[in-house]
Amino acid sequence: MKQPRPTELWAWWLAVAWLALVVLVALCADFLPLSYPAATPDLYAITQPPFAGPHWLGTDPLGRDVLAGLIFGARTACLVSAPAGLAAAVIGTILGSAAGYWGNQRLKLPAGLAFLLVGLLLFWGCFTGPGPWFLSWLVVVGLALVAAARLMRLSERVAPQPLPLDTIVLSLLALLTSVPQLVLALAIAAVWPPSLSTLVAVLTFTYWPVTAQLVRADMRRIRQLPYMEAARAIGLPTWQIMGRHAFPLLWKTIRVTLPLSLATLIGLETTVSFLGVGLPLETASWGRTLATARLDFTAWWLIVFPACAILLTTLALRQLPFYPFGKSS
Amino acid sequence: MKQRLFGFLVVVGSALGACSSHQQDSAPAIRIRWERDPENLNPLILPNENSLEAANLLYSSLLAVDPGKQQFVPSLAEALPTVEQTDSLTLLTYRIRAAAVWDNGRPVLARDVAFTLKVMNCPGLPIETNQAQWGFIRDIRLDPADPRRFTLVCAGRSPEYRWSSGDYIILPEYPLDPQGQLRPFSLAALRADTAGNQRNPAISAFVGRYTQAQLDHHPERLPGSGPYTLEAWAPGQYVTFKRKPKWWADTLHSDLLPLQARPLTLDYQIIPDEATAVLALRRGDVDVYPMMPAKEFQRLRRDSGNKSSLQFHTTESYKMITACFNTRYAALQDRLTRQALSHLFDIPALIQATQLGMAYPSVGLINPTAGHLYNDSLALPTYDLVKATALLKKAGWQRKPTGGWARRGVDGTTQQLTLTLSYRTGDPAFETIALQLRAAAGRLGIVIRPQPLEASLFWEKLRSGSVQMYLFTVTGNPFVYNFAPILHSKSIGAGNFTGFGTPTSDRLIEAIAAEEQEGHQAELLRRFQRLMHEEKPLTVLFFLRSRLAASSRLTTLQVTSLRPGYTATAIQTKAVK
Repeated sequence: MKQPRPTELWAWWLAVAWLALVVLVALCADFLPLSYPAATPDLYAITQPPFAGPHWLGTDPLGRDVLAGLIFGARTACLVSAPAGLAAAVIGTILGSAAGYWGNQRLKLPAGLAFLLVGLLLFWGCFTGPGPWFLSWLVVVGLALVAAARLMRLSERVAPQPLPLDTIVLSLLALLTSVPQLVLALAIAAVWPPSLSTLVAVLTFTYWPVTAQLVRADMRRIRQLPYMEAARAIGLPTWQIMGRHAFPLLWKTIRVTLPLSLATLIGLETTVSFLGVGLPLETASWGRTLATARLDFTAWWLIVFPACAILLTTLALRQLPFYPFGKSS
Repeated sequence: MKQRLFGFLVVVGSALGACSSHQQDSAPAIRIRWERDPENLNPLILPNENSLEAANLLYSSLLAVDPGKQQFVPSLAEALPTVEQTDSLTLLTYRIRAAAVWDNGRPVLARDVAFTLKVMNCPGLPIETNQAQWGFIRDIRLDPADPRRFTLVCAGRSPEYRWSSGDYIILPEYPLDPQGQLRPFSLAALRADTAGNQRNPAISAFVGRYTQAQLDHHPERLPGSGPYTLEAWAPGQYVTFKRKPKWWADTLHSDLLPLQARPLTLDYQIIPDEATAVLALRRGDVDVYPMMPAKEFQRLRRDSGNKSSLQFHTTESYKMITACFNTRYAALQDRLTRQALSHLFDIPALIQATQLGMAYPSVGLINPTAGHLYNDSLALPTYDLVKATALLKKAGWQRKPTGGWARRGVDGTTQQLTLTLSYRTGDPAFETIALQLRAAAGRLGIVIRPQPLEASLFWEKLRSGSVQMYLFTVTGNPFVYNFAPILHSKSIGAGNFTGFGTPTSDRLIEAIAAEEQEGHQAELLRRFQRLMHEEKPLTVLFFLRSRLAASSRLTTLQVTSLRPGYTATAIQTKAVK
């Protein structure tokens, strides 16, 4: 093992310390002795500068305490970015590893199931695409009847059909990545009513392709390794091959990307909040605090404090994957 | 060499182009900041103040308010109407000026007024707002001897008929009904049986033509007799009006402001964001900034560096911010609950926080500066959580051990006191009010969720009645006390978004509009304020003081308490020394 350099060590520990502080503050926000709750305006202290009076870090043009906003904003950042990052990682890992492992030819479905899937797709297509409803119904019912009548005999005669899983996942990825994340997030958040869960869902939906692309590429590499071929040759079940033999290698990729994902998602959440979409008015957010600076350009504290919080957290999360003790010589 | 020659030609060409465009624009446009798009310029709809201002540039009315004199003066009409009263009717006779002509040179005639009134009552068109406001005009009698003279037959009596009977824009008949297909129909016939009339082919054909003209976004298809034409409209960006080279009122050389139009170009810049608008004013990209945010207004006014480049004006206004209750919503159907919720607004603190003191509270819809019309015997709304709690209990609400309030409704179902407060997004004042109300309600265990909505969505929700509580700006005037469009039960769904209306309140509103004697009308108005104070379909939070900042190169802004707070057509630029 190579000894880590002191600067690396310091940087890593600083990052951990800052993130621990953010998490601690987020957890204890309700119990901290704050003079004003985050969403309660002090109407007699509008745009008050910091270090004067009861508002240590000042107030925004709506009279909200900036310190309380930062503390509860930390909670929002944790509550939004962590679940969204984890959910995006789980979805991306499942779809990416499945696409990488099975490709287009290796996952074969019994003919009956394949027909059922095609039927379901047609059903979905009929109802989402243009055209009269009754025709859609006729097509669907007809297909269902034909499928039901022949399912058994077809299953016996027709060979199992390959599912083009890789193409499906790649198409989805192409579809989602063709639109910039921020635009996609804004479009979805503008349609749905603002709430914390909505924002988590929106961010998950827009971010899972990043993990999926990396995991898919990694899985395609791992699948070719000799020990994986050996595992298949001795007839190990697929779940065991993927879970016990592929996942430990995939985990390295996921472990590195997860903190980076969190950093990106915090940035995305603050951007969406800055633009006033996604979170309810009463939910504190660093981005929202930053946005209030637009109402008064002279209020430097509305830019400096939330920007520092965002910057430090993002940098800390980006530093986290560079774990200095785990490097091999 | 070729490149050098090309570069030289480009530079010379640009310079010549710049010179020629400068010559064209020798009188620079007056650029005014609008907070929002007019959205719809259909003369029958005009959904907001900006669309109203735009319509007044494109069209003329019989009478118009002279901001300088603060009174109605004749515009298309030759003089104020002569009034004759019978037992149950008021007859107002007008004569249109001989000089008044449409853009094609045809004279504006009495039959154009008749056409306008028929359009305002035509079934199949969006006429609800107009009917609520001018429904008292029952008929029009054209003078067979004089095509410019006509008499309006109005139901009942009211001194305000003298003004309000001429305060709507007059539409030309020739572009929309060249064959005069509406002429055979009387106003009464149009109003009587809408279902029957809709089946009439002539009316259906007219409605079809009117709808197909798409006046919402193409007002140029209905040329008016106003001083300006619409030159360009980029929704959400700008609206530009160009002065007609020859406007009929030019020949009058009148000193009345409605008959003057000085700027050659009026350029309304739509800048929703306040900070951007302030920046635009300071950079000289905007000349007039009406209703500037209080903080910026004070800051710029105090800054001595702006004294040479900007001028500042403040005045009273009839613009008020109100908190309204949708009385059709089960939890808000009783007045005690509405009264209780009204005690949750900390109005003095809100005035200080959102307007820096440049506003004043009121007991109701009448401006406190209105003298004896204002009912000063009523108490101003107070921030009182104890009183609010007592009123809630009196209304049958009980605080649940788990938090929140509930009561059993008339139909036996359990009602929860959980409300949403809707408002148009983008106004920091609304956000501050919403947060203050939420915090105050939270102290009592009432959940109030602020719901900022995009302007068009907010209007859609108001019209469909799917809001619970909402913040709304109401603009009044000192001339006409007609509350029917916003509080009469007949206007529910059109302009009465609170859904409020009782037989008593309806009768009172009608009586105020019909009352002739000033003293008695004042008494009725005071009674009306008391009724609204008790029923609380809305709470007036405060009347705003108008704040206007403008470039110092402008003169004759005619800053007034009437909306929009200035007179765009009167503005002139100082001569360059």
